[in-house]
Amino acid sequence: MKHHITIGIGPAVFRVGSAWRDPIDRLASLYAAYPVLPGAIADFSVRLEPVSPLRRWLRPSIFITGDHGLAEAAPMSLAHGLLAAEMGMNLQMALGWRRHLLLHASSVEKDGRVLVMTGESGSGKSTLAAQLGERGWRLMGDEFALLDLESGWIFPFPRLVSLKNSAIGVLAADVPEQRMGPLLAGTAKGDIRHLVPRSTAIDRMEAGGQPALLLFPRFGGDADIRPVGQAEVFMRLTQASTNYVALGEAGFRALTRFVQNVPAHAIDFPSGEQAIAMVEQLWAERA
Amino acid sequence: MTRLSRYCRLERDAIAACALDGMTLLYHRASGQTHMVISPVPEILDALDETRPASPADIHRHMSQRYELGDAAEAVALIGAHLAELAGLGLVRGL
Repeated sequence: MKHHITIGIGPAVFRVGSAWRDPIDRLASLYAAYPVLPGAIADFSVRLEPVSPLRRWLRPSIFITGDHGLAEAAPMSLAHGLLAAEMGMNLQMALGWRRHLLLHASSVEKDGRVLVMTGESGSGKSTLAAQLGERGWRLMGDEFALLDLESGWIFPFPRLVSLKNSAIGVLAADVPEQRMGPLLAGTAKGDIRHLVPRSTAIDRMEAGGQPALLLFPRFGGDADIRPVGQAEVFMRLTQASTNYVALGEAGFRALTRFVQNVPAHAIDFPSGEQAIAMVEQLWAERA
Repeated sequence: MTRLSRYCRLERDAIAACALDGMTLLYHRASGQTHMVISPVPEILDALDETRPASPADIHRHMSQRYELGDAAEAVALIGAHLAELAGLGLVRGL
């Protein structure tokens, strides 16, 4: 394609091509601290193409495609090109990654041990991980946690954090402006701004850690902490994994080991500050 | 579900099992499917033999040595229903 960039994120290499220059320039700016690997063999290709030849120029409209496509992915405006590229990378990862068990979860690390948080979209797992990443934890990822099939460790996939709506203001207050991407207003998920993780998260993006705690956070309602049994954890994690079935017995072994060894709690919280306090309390009790 | 008269366990490495609290996972290697089962299914599978076919009544006799199963006729019917279901999933061999 006319414009392209090849970036390494955790263990994966993405080649993003675009019919337009702007999304690639924005990616290059926000991923400036990540390994840019021109000529490297990419795990995945992402292509941002015009919906039709005319739409490259006239009311530009992006169709996201790549090695693994979604026939029903809705076209997006060029103003949201950065979001299209990010969505394209997530999609390729979700549909095509086979080297780890992929959990739709955020993760952070402290002292070599990893806290994994999973839940529905809007549960607050991404914002909570981003906040912890600014407060003494190493952000490993806000979207996917990679469970190693042999060691049982969690490995990072620290792409840009996708902050939505009210989370934008929460993090913008903590983070220098140069680590925040442009405001993408009026997307299908509302307003979005991307956050570049701290340099320690990027510099150590190949360093995994032993999972030590699993949380099911839920934003809203009164503060509450309750343990979650292994059977429920297993069911919820199979739902949270995009490649459990594809990995066969290796996935079964990895997930059952995780469920048997990692204590799990559900936490409800009315504010980010309370969520952070609850996480720190559970983390201290675990030790 | 078709009820057959006798059943055998699959060969030993056909299924990988994992007990979690309150549930047993059965990973069926031939299909790649994971089944989640609860008591008395793991106990019924344990009572089956790979080579000697057993009827629901045989399984009931075997299990009643270890467990209090209540009314015999009801328990045999329940065991028969579970075995038919397991055979339908390919987790036991029906004869």
